[in-house]
Amino acid sequence: MSTTPTIILIKDTRLAGVDTTRDVQNVFEKCLKEAGIESHVQAVRAADMGVYERGVVVKLLPQNVFYGNVKDEDVSLIVNKTLKKGELVEHLALRNLPSQVRVVLRNCGVINPESMEEYIQEKGYEGLRKCLLHLTPAQVIDEMKKSGLRGRGGAGFPTWMKWNLARSSVAEQKYVICNGDEGDPGAYMDRSVLEGDPHSVIEGMIIAGYAIGASKGFFYIRAEYPLAVERIHLAIKQAYEGGFLGQNILGTKFSFDLDVRLGAGAFVCGEETALMASIEGKRGTPRPRPPFPTQAGLWEKPTIINNVETLANVPVIFQRGGDWFSAIGTEKSKGTKVFAITGKVKNSGLVEIPMGITMREIVYGIGGGAADGKKVLAVQTGGPSGGVIPESHFDTPVSYEHLQELGSIMGSGGMIVMDEDDCMIDIVKFYLGFCVEESCGKCAPCRIGGYQMLKLLEKISEGNGTDQDVASIKRIAKAMQKASLCALGQTAPNPVLSTLRYFEDEYKQHIGDKKCRAGKCGKLLQYRIMPDKCKKCRLCQLKCPSNAVVGDKEKGYEVVQAKCVKCGVCYEVCKFEAVERI
Amino acid sequence: MIRAKINGISLRVPEGATILEAAEKVQIKIPVLCKHPDLPPTAACGICIVKLKGMNKMLRACCTPIEEGMEIITHDPEIVEVRRSVIELILSKHPNECLSCGRNRNCELQKLAGDFGINEQSFPQYLADIPADNSTKSLVLEPRKCISCGRCVHVCQQMQNVWALSFLERGFDTRISPAGDIQLADSPCVKCGQCSAHCPTGAIFEYDETGKVWELLQDENKYCIVQIAPAVRVAVGEWFGFKSGANTTRKLYAALRRMGFRAVFDTNFGADLTIVEEAHEFVHRFTKEPTKLPLITSCCPAWVDFMEKFYPDMVDHFSSCKSPHQMVGALSKTYYAQKQRLDPSKIVVVSIMPCTAKKHEISRDREMFASGHQDVDISLTTRELARMIKQAGIDFPNLPEEDADHMLGEYSGAGTIFGMTGGVMEAALRTAYDYVTGGKLKNVDFENVRGLQGVKEGTIPVGSHEVKVAVAHGLSNVEYVLNKVREAKKNDRVPPYHFIEVMACPGGCVGGGGQPYGVTDAVRNQRGDGLYEDDREHKIRYSHENPFVKKLYKEFLGEPRSEKVHHLLHTTYRPMPEYKR
Amino acid sequence: MNKSAKEGRGHPADDGRGVIKVGMSSCGIAAGAGEVFEALTKEAKGRGLNLEIKKCGCVGSCYAEPLVEVRLPCLPTVLYSRVNKEIALRILDEHIVNKRLLNDLIIDLPMKR
Repeated sequence: MSTTPTIILIKDTRLAGVDTTRDVQNVFEKCLKEAGIESHVQAVRAADMGVYERGVVVKLLPQNVFYGNVKDEDVSLIVNKTLKKGELVEHLALRNLPSQVRVVLRNCGVINPESMEEYIQEKGYEGLRKCLLHLTPAQVIDEMKKSGLRGRGGAGFPTWMKWNLARSSVAEQKYVICNGDEGDPGAYMDRSVLEGDPHSVIEGMIIAGYAIGASKGFFYIRAEYPLAVERIHLAIKQAYEGGFLGQNILGTKFSFDLDVRLGAGAFVCGEETALMASIEGKRGTPRPRPPFPTQAGLWEKPTIINNVETLANVPVIFQRGGDWFSAIGTEKSKGTKVFAITGKVKNSGLVEIPMGITMREIVYGIGGGAADGKKVLAVQTGGPSGGVIPESHFDTPVSYEHLQELGSIMGSGGMIVMDEDDCMIDIVKFYLGFCVEESCGKCAPCRIGGYQMLKLLEKISEGNGTDQDVASIKRIAKAMQKASLCALGQTAPNPVLSTLRYFEDEYKQHIGDKKCRAGKCGKLLQYRIMPDKCKKCRLCQLKCPSNAVVGDKEKGYEVVQAKCVKCGVCYEVCKFEAVERI
Repeated sequence: MIRAKINGISLRVPEGATILEAAEKVQIKIPVLCKHPDLPPTAACGICIVKLKGMNKMLRACCTPIEEGMEIITHDPEIVEVRRSVIELILSKHPNECLSCGRNRNCELQKLAGDFGINEQSFPQYLADIPADNSTKSLVLEPRKCISCGRCVHVCQQMQNVWALSFLERGFDTRISPAGDIQLADSPCVKCGQCSAHCPTGAIFEYDETGKVWELLQDENKYCIVQIAPAVRVAVGEWFGFKSGANTTRKLYAALRRMGFRAVFDTNFGADLTIVEEAHEFVHRFTKEPTKLPLITSCCPAWVDFMEKFYPDMVDHFSSCKSPHQMVGALSKTYYAQKQRLDPSKIVVVSIMPCTAKKHEISRDREMFASGHQDVDISLTTRELARMIKQAGIDFPNLPEEDADHMLGEYSGAGTIFGMTGGVMEAALRTAYDYVTGGKLKNVDFENVRGLQGVKEGTIPVGSHEVKVAVAHGLSNVEYVLNKVREAKKNDRVPPYHFIEVMACPGGCVGGGGQPYGVTDAVRNQRGDGLYEDDREHKIRYSHENPFVKKLYKEFLGEPRSEKVHHLLHTTYRPMPEYKR
Repeated sequence: MNKSAKEGRGHPADDGRGVIKVGMSSCGIAAGAGEVFEALTKEAKGRGLNLEIKKCGCVGSCYAEPLVEVRLPCLPTVLYSRVNKEIALRILDEHIVNKRLLNDLIIDLPMKR
């Protein structure tokens, strides 16, 4: 038995029914007393153990033993076997739980982001040291190749290949840019890394600079992230003082400078060529490729642009080796991916999972399922460029390839959970509206196509849609996918197309039956007074702003649909639940 | 050379050639809208998309360089359908006002819609409610008709370095406008009109004054005089089936007479006069006032505007000579009026110019009223003239050839090359050589100031002197030349040049902002060749030997640089509030 | 994994001094971590506790912010969720001083590092 004091964390993880956590705690306390170890062991009720629907879950610390479905009668077994003898109670042990793997977020929440010393204590700048002192740039790229790391910004381009292209471009000046213009709605992985572990991104950039032969790097961070900007500024200053930036880094011939540029809030500036235009002080619009940034990028010089999360992976790859990294994940998608899981999910926040675990494990295992015990309908990944994945496909592994097969994308890591209260057309209007708002306006398919498509969706959500409108949407979608200049326009139809693929019925309901299942499309709602429940108090008639409630005490009251403005006041004021919303 | 296949046809193209360029080699014209042959691709419209064999993605032909072994498909049902969708989307944000638009039958969008047989409106129209801007009286901006191709913005910022036009807003609301959303007249715009010459639709259009001219021609109390600029004669024919560069001078005289003009003059006469004055001015500065060197030409009003706005420190270096059409205007209402016993207040002078800035120049300050009246009343562009000829039902190609009217109509070979970059310099050097050396040139052709290179520099032996010259065209090329001058002035060094010619438009007036659409360097050269041919065909190739110029001085003006000359033919310049790009 | 296994959450700190870490990224600050940090610093001093109180980034459980990690030499390290000023003081009094952990506030998510 352990000599350090032990704590027992207890939590009833059943989502429905009476919470028995306190009862089990009592049983433990009694049992501990009987065993005479109550001074040495504390039984504590936990708030969340990160597992769900496993009955009462018990965790012993520091032994790190995890038991599930613990019944009252199991308590003495645990106390006597595990606590006293250090033996595992096999039939209760929880194994193979969906678990986060912290590679990118390894230091987030662990170290003080404002202290370089703490970063160094966690083996920070070891990877850089190894690269500069023991590896040639070509070997650095080889190691990256071995790791199999692919870009985490969305497209999943192999990072080593990008570096290699830039390395083979001949130029006196080359640049490294860190793309911190995170903009997908609900996504904030990069912000957390920049705020929680700024040095790991800086180290990644310096290694990238060494690999491609660049002497200058830029952080491009959106101005809406003031704390991230502040911490990056501080970390850069510390890195200069520590000799990791500037002239002759670690006594080698390699020199590298870093600077910060702020994005002014245009989503399209996350696109590589628009981002570079923005750094150059021009209007942030994409330009055609080729030439690719690795050939002619910032100020026409070879440039690599890597996303924050991609760069934060780099130091670990050199600390632990490309082989270690490539052991995580699937055949084609290596390592981990950080997702910002939000929406109708119990535990919203950041999760970092090894590539290849299923959507189900993420949503239910880590996210804890829907917030109010409702039915999860789908998950939206990839932000405005992605698509929805219906519940029926939740057993698909999360990887670049698999998500694409489902008509969505990995994207930068936004993951929004939708339940039965969500209307797909409403969701799609939101995403498309975002793209229309954020379109730079340079190319016609995106500029006009997105707007036209949004207007058609609005028409459908207002009950005026026709089958021809769906055909028009598909036609516009194709034009946007094929003829837009950059990924923003090319992928903007994805949410529409994927909902047409998986939730065509909802479109049919809106168009044919003029109904919105979730009640989100206001204009399709109908309020009706149920005569059997109505007490004829007349309150709804008094409150209705458009005089749509007619009738009298004798005949009863009804809502004249033609006059109703769907404000819902009658529904809210009725004390007898006699107004129904259909 | 790179080997590739387009629609199964093998071809070899030089490295860097785009798919669009390569396709032309196998007789395929990929439809484009935003790409202008004169400008680098902006890749905005998305119509020139093509496929690579076996690939799902579509590429833009305008900006994708061909790569070894590429197998390109330029049309299949899917490509055509996507193109059609894009055209229809563009049309959904463009007013259906073709019949009342200046670009009717000359609009690139209209043509494309016709080619694709768009015969229904698939998407509802959402038009922007933005008023037209006609504040300059040279150019009219109609952002409603704009398809955001970006040509004008590129022209204004990169080609002309003026930065008057930019895109404002974003997404669906993207629109062209002077930066800061001000009126064009309050912007740094120099009215060169290159935007209007490159606009594919009617979104930027010359300020049309043809109606006014028709009215004046009908007015029996008015005596309408017309003059045509050098570059007009070799370009207007393009709208009547002539090749670029065909010299239609004498048909134009005939046409103008038939339209009702009482006297038909030639701005080339004014060009000769300008040279006499400017050559004198140059010789004077060269021999007596070297601090005012280099002398910089001033016959291009867009350039004058640009200098006053962006290079106000060069005011002293500017030739004080008015531009040729202003000289002809002033003389029409004085010299000619006296000779013909006409009341100058009844004379209307219309100038036909390749230029939109001339519309601004005619009233730019009091000195443009030297005759006591506005010297030039209306300035029309080549395009406006072409439309008027069509409106008058004149069968232009079959017109007989006629001569200009006397006194202000005859010109030398030197006068006509004013319309091409380097032409003013060349004409002035011919005359200056004579003035300085008293002798004649063996060869009057100054080849090293000709051609379309952005900046041309050279040293010309004039007697025992060496005259260092520079010629720049396209306003973005001015910077290089004038920065050298500034640098020398700052360091008290000898100026790098003695004489500088600047024309605002690429190619000079042959590529002017008021010229027929579709200009490319090939077209500029063809029009220029027409002028050089006109020069060679003239017996008299020195401006100062134009007998009517001599007669004018003798009968009316007196000596070059005299008081009267100064009053009528010279002007002054003033620094404008500094514009920052 | 050796070093992190030794120092990771759930294991006691191996130097003599107790450490309290407050998640101070945007999400934490938005949920009130600043106030918690201030209260802890001030009150620990007032109580004469030998503690290091410091900032750290976000562990990702944004729904449960502000998060406070308590690491004492004599107890396994734990993470408290939804901490406010009042809970912060209880952490000092009960956990730090009396070595009794607080109920219903600890979160412990399966995580490999």
